[in-house]
Amino acid sequence: MKVELIHLPNRLLQKLGLSKREDEKQAGQVDPEAIEEANRLVEKMKKECPAAIAGFLDELIQVWIDMRDMGDTPQRAKLSERAFTLAHEIKDLAALSEDELTTYFAESLRDYIGETELNLEAQRVIIQAHVDAMSVVNKQGIEDAESALAEELKQMVKIAINKYS
Amino acid sequence: MFPGAQDPKQPQPYDLSNFTVLVVEDSTYMVTLMSSMLKAFSVGDIMECHNGKEAIEVLTVTQARSKSRFITHVDIVLMDWLMPGGSGEELLRWIRSHDKEEVRFMPVVVVSGFTTEKIVNSARDLGANETLVKPISAKGLASRICNVIEHPRPFVNVDTYFGPDRRRQESPINFEDRRKTKADEIKVVRKK
Repeated sequence: MKVELIHLPNRLLQKLGLSKREDEKQAGQVDPEAIEEANRLVEKMKKECPAAIAGFLDELIQVWIDMRDMGDTPQRAKLSERAFTLAHEIKDLAALSEDELTTYFAESLRDYIGETELNLEAQRVIIQAHVDAMSVVNKQGIEDAESALAEELKQMVKIAINKYS
Repeated sequence: MFPGAQDPKQPQPYDLSNFTVLVVEDSTYMVTLMSSMLKAFSVGDIMECHNGKEAIEVLTVTQARSKSRFITHVDIVLMDWLMPGGSGEELLRWIRSHDKEEVRFMPVVVVSGFTTEKIVNSARDLGANETLVKPISAKGLASRICNVIEHPRPFVNVDTYFGPDRRRQESPINFEDRRKTKADEIKVVRKK
């Protein structure tokens, strides 16, 4: 037999003590009031994001200082993995707090670290440009991703990437 | 309708207090966020792991001894995709290739900060039931939970894939049918 199609009893619905007729679209729903409560929690967490991003950014800067002059060693590979994770973490928090500019730089940095070896001088410039841009955004609290300063920072990172790619 | 009376046309709110959800996520902030949302949804038991390896250890115990009164059986897994020390990809492969049905058929929701089609397709092709892209919203999480409760698609077992049917609905086709599998090559199994 080429294909096996396995139908399972709906244990989750059974666990809820519910059943769903074929002609029904929905058996139930998550309580709309609970969704509202969860939304309030998200709003509360959003306020904590800038401080958390600042902490991760400090760690990223330190990791970058530690690794940038290292040769091709296993320790460097570990630090590189940590830098990737930190960029990813910053991106997630920035996206959660609707900080478009930091999301943009952190995602760009994460993808760049993920796709390249970090031992060339050119790449050092690119990483540094991303770290500098995110530090400025975080310290100055730039919210408008379209502002003149935001555009200038994006341009700085673009120039670094284009020059060395 | 009297104030406070429930509209019979509206679906009733689920009582999720009997449910156990395992959250696998390396970011402390994201774990806190997801767990808080699940608590708000009244999920009874929320377990947390920080990478795929930890989750494998937990699931080995919870699902293997599912009949024990003392060990909670995990009902739904919410997993991040990228985690140092055991990725979501490794965890999903482990779940879908497990020899115990309690593990192999578990509902899995992949929560990823990667928005690329490649990642979403990888998760789907490895057998994820649902995917949710970060930043997650309460509405998005609730909708994925409702989907795994209400629309558990049949599982497909072929040489190259094991997981929920990737077609979410049967649509009539108005062009040449190029499917190679004949109806008599499909064995339908109904588990009890």
